[in-house]
Amino acid sequence: MDFTVSEEMTALLETVRRFIAAELAPLEHEVEERGVLAPEVARTIFEKSRALGLYAMNVPGRFGGGGLSAVETVMVEEQFGHTTDILVRRAFGNVYEVLFAADAAQTERWLLPCVRGERTASIAITEPDAGSDAAGITTRAERVAPGWRINGAKHFISDAAFSDFFVVSAVTDPPKRSRGISLFLVDKAAPGVTIGRDQPMMGLRGTSHHELFFDGVEVGDEHLLGEEGTGYAQVLATLGRVRLAQVGARSVGKASHVLDLMTRHAAARRQFGQAIGEFQMVQQLLADSVIDVNAARLLVLRAAWELDAGRDARDWIAMVKVHASEALGRVVDRAVQVFGGMGYCKDLSIERYYRDARVARIYDGASEIHRMVVARDALRSGAALFDSMGSGGWAPEPHAATARGGGR
Amino acid sequence: MNVVVCVKQIPDPAAPPSLDPATNTLNRSGKLILDDSDAYGVEMALQLVDAAGGGEVTLVSMAPNGEVSGLRTALAMGAAKAILVSDDVLVGSDALGTAKVLAAAIRRAAPDLVLAATESTDGYTGTTPVQVAELLGFPSVTFAKKVEVSGSTVKVQRQTEAGFDEVESPLPAVVTVTAGVVEPRYPSFKGIMAAKSKPVETLTVADLGIDPSEVGATGARQAITSVTAAEARQSGEIVVDEGDAHERIIQFLEQLKVL
Repeated sequence: MDFTVSEEMTALLETVRRFIAAELAPLEHEVEERGVLAPEVARTIFEKSRALGLYAMNVPGRFGGGGLSAVETVMVEEQFGHTTDILVRRAFGNVYEVLFAADAAQTERWLLPCVRGERTASIAITEPDAGSDAAGITTRAERVAPGWRINGAKHFISDAAFSDFFVVSAVTDPPKRSRGISLFLVDKAAPGVTIGRDQPMMGLRGTSHHELFFDGVEVGDEHLLGEEGTGYAQVLATLGRVRLAQVGARSVGKASHVLDLMTRHAAARRQFGQAIGEFQMVQQLLADSVIDVNAARLLVLRAAWELDAGRDARDWIAMVKVHASEALGRVVDRAVQVFGGMGYCKDLSIERYYRDARVARIYDGASEIHRMVVARDALRSGAALFDSMGSGGWAPEPHAATARGGGR
Repeated sequence: MNVVVCVKQIPDPAAPPSLDPATNTLNRSGKLILDDSDAYGVEMALQLVDAAGGGEVTLVSMAPNGEVSGLRTALAMGAAKAILVSDDVLVGSDALGTAKVLAAAIRRAAPDLVLAATESTDGYTGTTPVQVAELLGFPSVTFAKKVEVSGSTVKVQRQTEAGFDEVESPLPAVVTVTAGVVEPRYPSFKGIMAAKSKPVETLTVADLGIDPSEVGATGARQAITSVTAAEARQSGEIVVDEGDAHERIIQFLEQLKVL
């Protein structure tokens, strides 16, 4: 197993780091204070990033993107974790892989403008009564020749205020349940689309999260993304990459950022005549955080490697989602403790990281959902499913089949 | 216009440095990176070539173990090619020995202009570029804060303690640039991917026709006899403003005799 990073990737990661440190980090405080990123500032960072080829790096080269592999993408996404969600969206783009299912005409109309940074899209799946249960949506798309009429409501739609169009999940064939869900490309300006209120959040300042209402929105067949009835499958197949990159890798980046801050603080802050990092109880906080960050990073890379190998990585991504988001939560909590009062004070970024971290365990499937995915697959395929050696040829223990919990 | 930039690949300043106890020289066996102070010369060169409407930027470097990582960074910024001199006999070279090697390599590129940093971040002798100029028989202008080329003349604003001098020199010339000369660009995604296929010519001392006894530890006329750790900086005095801070600061500056 070779963990060497290529010269090109090293150079790319250095450029991304320098860009974040010089162009984005200085904006973080103002965005946090005001709750918005000024449009002209957003434009400036987008143009600088695009000129360097740093926009839409995850998009395949055939669509005009950077063409990074999954492993390369998560390495870059880890760097993104060193700044805030809204700055990443504007500087580096957020082109969802689900759009790659677009046909030729849709690619021209919807995908390519996103890759060029001329348009932005949000994914509109979540509804008040359908969060982790994405198949439980009630937004309905009815056949109305020659197209569809959409009625329903979504909420928590990230970046909806800024986006130009939405990828909307809607039920097209109710009896078929998850196989009766389709995806539609819907322009924000389409008659019947209403942007509701911005739902204020604990963290992620600067990124809007809106309610969306579809009231008799009529779209043609050319707005159907992929085949009718494949919406849920498309979401399962493509949002895993988003989850891996934007929750998994970015959580590693955020945790790594905070770990660096807390380590420096523990070395510099003196109490009782010594650096607090010399106290063993503080050392435990540091050591556990180093272990958490590195275990999460390896899991992220492994999941990405599975994707690059062309394998179904849903189990790996589920493991990443749970471990990376929870590791981040533990690390930021320890960081507040190491910084003491200053960790709780808004003068430092620690409290922001603490607030921003909490949602990582919730969005893109709560930890409990992903644990369920891992457990079910383990029960079905055996724990060896996650071993590079497969079953490894070990025979089951003789009594394994009849063993009962509790007594021997 | 063809510009050569002397670039040094140095141990990452962010990593703890180590000295070879036998020679008191910096341990350069690990991965090396582009000296930050050289990024200004690379940027200046790229801008001058752009302004001239043609030509190319060639990097010249001397480094152990065929190290090219730092060169790739400068190639990713936009330099066209690089000449690397890497040879075991160069271990222990002093500034003059290094200058001999660089001058011989630069001669092969036949440049109109040679740019270098005023000094490196690891060695700080600040003497190599002018030695290179002397060996090449080129005029040298140091501490440039602005560089322009007009025809066969280079016009330089040369930083001084009081301000700057305006200096003109015929080309070819060696100019050392300060960190204020330009803002180095980030290597772009395309630049990074293209850098891998840009040519890096790796040469030995023999390839350059240099007598091995004139370079390396054998040829060095400089030796580091001892190294002492720098004294730890004393913590400063914090003035808490209770309405009289300005008076206390003035008092402090008077004590230092700066007022």
